[in-house]
Amino acid sequence: MHIPDGILPVPLTAGGYAIAAAATWYSVRRINQKEDPRENVPKAALLTAAFFVASWIHIPVPPASVHLVLNGLLGAILGYFAFPAIIIGLFFQAVMFQHGGLTTLGVNAVIMGAPAIVAHYVFRLRRLGNKESRAKIAILGFLSGSTAVAISVAIFIAVLLTNLPSQLDTVAETAAIYALALAYLPVMTIEGVITSLLVLFIQRVRPAILDGV
Amino acid sequence: MTTRNKARLIVGPALLLVLVLMLPTHAYAHGVRIDYRVDMTVEILAAYDTGEPMAGAQVSVYAPDEPSTPWLTGVCDEDGRFDFVPDASKAGTWSVRVRLAGHGDIVHIPIGESSGAAGSSGGYAPLQIVLMAACVIWGSIGTALYFSRRRT
Repeated sequence: MHIPDGILPVPLTAGGYAIAAAATWYSVRRINQKEDPRENVPKAALLTAAFFVASWIHIPVPPASVHLVLNGLLGAILGYFAFPAIIIGLFFQAVMFQHGGLTTLGVNAVIMGAPAIVAHYVFRLRRLGNKESRAKIAILGFLSGSTAVAISVAIFIAVLLTNLPSQLDTVAETAAIYALALAYLPVMTIEGVITSLLVLFIQRVRPAILDGV
Repeated sequence: MTTRNKARLIVGPALLLVLVLMLPTHAYAHGVRIDYRVDMTVEILAAYDTGEPMAGAQVSVYAPDEPSTPWLTGVCDEDGRFDFVPDASKAGTWSVRVRLAGHGDIVHIPIGESSGAAGSSGGYAPLQIVLMAACVIWGSIGTALYFSRRRT
């Protein structure tokens, strides 16, 4: 799901950087409005590491090979910290794993960061109603994990399909893009289950971690 | 003359002619001319970092004098392999772009007097990656520990 260098036209990569910068500014502003902005830094740092390593864990889904994204998990647990965390994770992935690229860092940050914020609001729906039941947390955890991947795949497809170079065999490339998107269907389920299990575990062991967001 | 005799009349000289031609007379001809041509085939092998070949990936080859329009386009086979013979008169850096479902890379191949090597579009050895990843993870844990310390 990481778009590498040289695939997208320069104006689009610049636009991606602009949107990512605006989103980072807004996220940092929201973080600074908290009573203690430093409070969530430890868990943000740890989840950045998890996000960074996640793209190295490959799940073979023939004919493609896909990897975990974990952006929904970051959104659910970190809230607005997720966006800067994802940018840092993406930077290291681009430099070390060659997943993505430095020119497309902005675009990739939008592809994976924006759905994380959506996941944050999906998971916040648990506060609706009178009681935070475990069933509610399990279901909303699953939904935040899976919808984040779904939105990421949707943005990824839209960006690629609107920027197909003319010299390519567009029919074959379009088919390949849709095949890759289909391969992410099991990832959606897996990430939903991972997010659900993790938030349930945190809620049982240290519910204070989830209170901050 | 019967038709059979007529046929024999033609076959006889024809056989003789064939025999004459088969004699190694051309070995004593005057000039010698040897033509040669070295065809350098460039073999592209495209695979994901998992080692899985990029079967069906689209390949665009760019000549040094025309970096914007492809000199040749093609598709990798099921092993992620694609062979092409570059135009030897166009010395310089050829670029080959491989792309499949929004994933891909570009490799630059020097072709000229001192060509004929192997190369790749980059990437680190697994041990390097593990070491670098460990550094990043330790950095994250360190950050977490720093910010979670008790304030005095």
